[in-house]
Amino acid sequence: MYHIKRVIRRWSSVGVLIIGLALGWMSSATAETTLTLWSHEADEAAKVAWAETAAKKFEQANPGVKVKMTWYQKEALNAALKAALRAGQGPDILYMEPDQTEYIDNGFLLPLNDLINWNNVEPWAREAWTHNGKVYGLAKEAYTIELYYNKDWMKKLGVTLPPNGQVSQAEFLQIVKKAAAAGMTPIAQGVGDRPFPGAYLTHEAVLKKLGRADYGKLLDGKLSWKDPRIVEVFTWVKQLVDAGAYPKSFATLKLGESHYYFHTKPGALMFPMGAFYSGRAFVPPDKGGQPENFPLGVMNFAAMDGGACNQCKSLLAGGSFSINAYSKNQKLAGALLSEMATPEMGTLWVSTIFLQTGIKSDPSKVTGKYAAYFRELAAMNKGAEYFIGSPRNLLKGQCAETYVQVVNTAFPGGLLPVDKALDMVNQACYKP
Amino acid sequence: MPIPRVWTHALLLIGLALYTVFSAGPFAWVSIMSLRTTPEISASPYGLPERIHWDKFLTAWTTSHYGMYFWNSTLVVVSAVAILTILGAMAAHCFARYRFRGNRLLFFLIFSAIIFPPQVTIISLFQVLVKYGLFNTRAGLTLVYVSIQLPLTMYILESFFAQIPQELYEAAKIDGCSDYNIFWRLTLPIGVPAIATTIILNFISLWNEFLYAVVLITDEEMRTLPLGIQKFMGDQMQDIGMIATGLMIAIVPVIVVYALFSEKLIRGMTAGAVKL
Amino acid sequence: MGKLSLSIPPAFFPLLVEGPAMAKSVTTMSAVSTSEGLLSTRPEVIQRVRGGPAQAPWGAIMVYLTPALLVYLAFTMYPVVLTFYNSFHVIKPRGAEEYVGLANFITLFTKDPTFWRAVANTMIWATVAPVADVGTGLVLALCLYAKVPFARFFRVAWFTPVLISYVVVGILWMWIYNYDWGIANQFLRTVGLGAWAHSWIGDPATALWALIFAHAWKWAGFNMVVCLAALFALPSEVLEAAELDNCGWFRKLVHIIIPMLRATLLNLLILAFVGKMKVFDLVWIMTRGGPLWSTETVSTYVYKRAFEWNTFDLGYPSAVAAVWFIVVMAFVIGLTWLFRQRERLEY
Repeated sequence: MYHIKRVIRRWSSVGVLIIGLALGWMSSATAETTLTLWSHEADEAAKVAWAETAAKKFEQANPGVKVKMTWYQKEALNAALKAALRAGQGPDILYMEPDQTEYIDNGFLLPLNDLINWNNVEPWAREAWTHNGKVYGLAKEAYTIELYYNKDWMKKLGVTLPPNGQVSQAEFLQIVKKAAAAGMTPIAQGVGDRPFPGAYLTHEAVLKKLGRADYGKLLDGKLSWKDPRIVEVFTWVKQLVDAGAYPKSFATLKLGESHYYFHTKPGALMFPMGAFYSGRAFVPPDKGGQPENFPLGVMNFAAMDGGACNQCKSLLAGGSFSINAYSKNQKLAGALLSEMATPEMGTLWVSTIFLQTGIKSDPSKVTGKYAAYFRELAAMNKGAEYFIGSPRNLLKGQCAETYVQVVNTAFPGGLLPVDKALDMVNQACYKP
Repeated sequence: MPIPRVWTHALLLIGLALYTVFSAGPFAWVSIMSLRTTPEISASPYGLPERIHWDKFLTAWTTSHYGMYFWNSTLVVVSAVAILTILGAMAAHCFARYRFRGNRLLFFLIFSAIIFPPQVTIISLFQVLVKYGLFNTRAGLTLVYVSIQLPLTMYILESFFAQIPQELYEAAKIDGCSDYNIFWRLTLPIGVPAIATTIILNFISLWNEFLYAVVLITDEEMRTLPLGIQKFMGDQMQDIGMIATGLMIAIVPVIVVYALFSEKLIRGMTAGAVKL
Repeated sequence: MGKLSLSIPPAFFPLLVEGPAMAKSVTTMSAVSTSEGLLSTRPEVIQRVRGGPAQAPWGAIMVYLTPALLVYLAFTMYPVVLTFYNSFHVIKPRGAEEYVGLANFITLFTKDPTFWRAVANTMIWATVAPVADVGTGLVLALCLYAKVPFARFFRVAWFTPVLISYVVVGILWMWIYNYDWGIANQFLRTVGLGAWAHSWIGDPATALWALIFAHAWKWAGFNMVVCLAALFALPSEVLEAAELDNCGWFRKLVHIIIPMLRATLLNLLILAFVGKMKVFDLVWIMTRGGPLWSTETVSTYVYKRAFEWNTFDLGYPSAVAAVWFIVVMAFVIGLTWLFRQRERLEY
């Protein structure tokens, strides 16, 4: 009796292995053609719905093919992707952002030049993903960096903005001081879970001061961060920080919480944020959206004294879809992406998700209560010259890490003086 | 003059009460929050629920697929703990009872695996699983779980088994038990307290295990419970109410297992003393 | 026997006290004994000898060891070896590797300030926290041992944090430390110490300590339970004798109880030490190593290099992991040896 027990136990572990093998083998053998897609934004229902609309259209046009989407949060997605791709596995279509160039450098992304109709895509969206003449991603999401503000509170402070929404450096500092004196938080921001929001104000100012060419050089490591113009900008930002511009919980406030901070409780005067603000804010308040009738305004970042390009702004391609270079279903994956790259899908994106997109769309078709917002946004962007990309996209390695810790977190958090901050970044980034 | 005992006792009790609040308070807070909706919580984080929202648990279970995650977690963790107990006990018995060349070396080798942080071995583990066709399967995750808890299990059991007096074994041998029987009829029954301990520890660790689950399982249908929480921790808004509900669903089984097995532990101890 | 709801026989960590000292710890063994009752008091007889029969029965050994060994080799040993192998290469994905010899290690030791910061943080954690954890556990166990009322309730309440996963603990404590509505700051404000309200995990000066505190919150209960079991297994004669000698309870504690618990305490300390040297989950959930690397630990750094930096290279993080593995091993071996020396000296 015990002999049998022993034998059973002894072989059970081997049995598990065999069963596992068999299951693995079986599941791969019996699948019909399934296109797998891994994406971020598990919690943004509108984006999930958009992708599923495209998938349904695709399945109708291609019977016998199923689309299987797995939704993650960004960090879990990166961990899973990196592990999977390294081992030669992975989905057919993956969510990518333009700063993840390591996937391109290591040959994991398929060039999409021939798979999508690029007439349906904005040229700058295409450019954001172009390396060596090959385009690696379809930018379904795009955004500019904007400065939102509370119209009522601005009126309360007695400030009238000029028609182009842009004040001078000194005036901006005045506004911040006035707001702080009136007990308002001048600028809402939080870097608790993202490596970029804290730096918005700073890098937009640097871009305006340097102009596009020198800004590009700076991010390439060819310009020193201790350039006197940059020192001037940082000194101005430090003045803002010292005047109490940011909330005390700046270092730990999460992105979603910072939105809430601005439009609901406790409220703030201004909020530098990517234009994906609308994607979050234009949902019902109990899902985290802004209150009904919130007096949302859009202004421009302050003009820098002696700035080379005060009408320059950053424009980023955001969440995109790319195709796994080792996918066995490349043509099919391309077809799915083509389903997405149509003007209807572009317009659907804008009107249900309230975000800009790299796919050509027809903003005039956006109606409803947010039409006024989109008009104001367009007005503020009139005459703007765009720099495609942001420090987060373009910096790498130790430089990126230092930039995040210093310019995104510590410096606006008031933890570092100007010279120390610039020293640290310069040392990590300047490679003459 | 020494402080009257009443005072020291009172002070002690106050200290203990404070520590209890410190230790169990957060848990109580989460359980209360699990019954309130997020807007209610944002308005007053520490209030009591005005209306008890039992439906949140239902929502979590069905709409947010918590039922499915729960089932997967149960499957994976229970299997892993069962396998761990058997394998760990067998190995521990062997190390503790038999003298052979390489005993200590091998033991130390296996134990030293505890030191390695999982973040690095995960890539190579991934490759191993792919090679055996076990990637993205619950069986694969189970085996990985077994491997990460094996060193500690073996360590605890070995030291306990080593305590068993040699006389008992001699007596059993004289009674005619073979080497194989000794394990089942002597070591295991006596070792129940330690085994119950390892079961509890393993269950706690594996039920809450996150890193391997996120990387080694990609199919939604096979995801385990810790990943479920992530659904509510998006960027849009920290859905605090639902997070709390999710946390409660995750915590309850652990408490149940603990309650079950700690009783076994006591019974094991008393029974052991009496039977022999 | 309603006294214990979870007890672990105190001598379940005998690794530190091999040899002659084993006899001493065996006297504290609890449930397992012969018909003489719950607590055996025959130290001179019970000499544990590893292995009985002169010939090791290889058949049996193979049967018992093989399954565990298989799992270990396939899922633990091989990845570890692979990691060491990786550390001497620059890994391009899809198998391509480039042997670089010691280059990774040289960069690690000379050009990587983040690594050294992480090492410092981890070492602080691993030296302070075990003492705090085990100390708190001992104090709590002593309180329960002193037969306070509601002991059972206290025990359950104090053990609850151990059952809670790191994700939950992290989220909970982030809410507690929240600057605006977290209970830590609210409490300070209500008692009028509002000026002390801090962004606890947002300030590099306090972040590490805030994390250590939260982590200790979780583990104190575990240490308590082990110490409690050990206390209950102490031979009552010795304690009674001390009573008779009219020792004050404090002296009783220091001179009798602690020395007798030595084995257990040392084992707990080492286990806590190892655990803190690879702490990851809590840090990741709460601060991710920020702000300004003040909570960066070696594990979070390894994870970042492997998954978050814009590279697929695994060689460098493997090098970090390999170095850290050796460091921790050295410490464990050193501490074990040190304690064993002191044990021997007592004879």
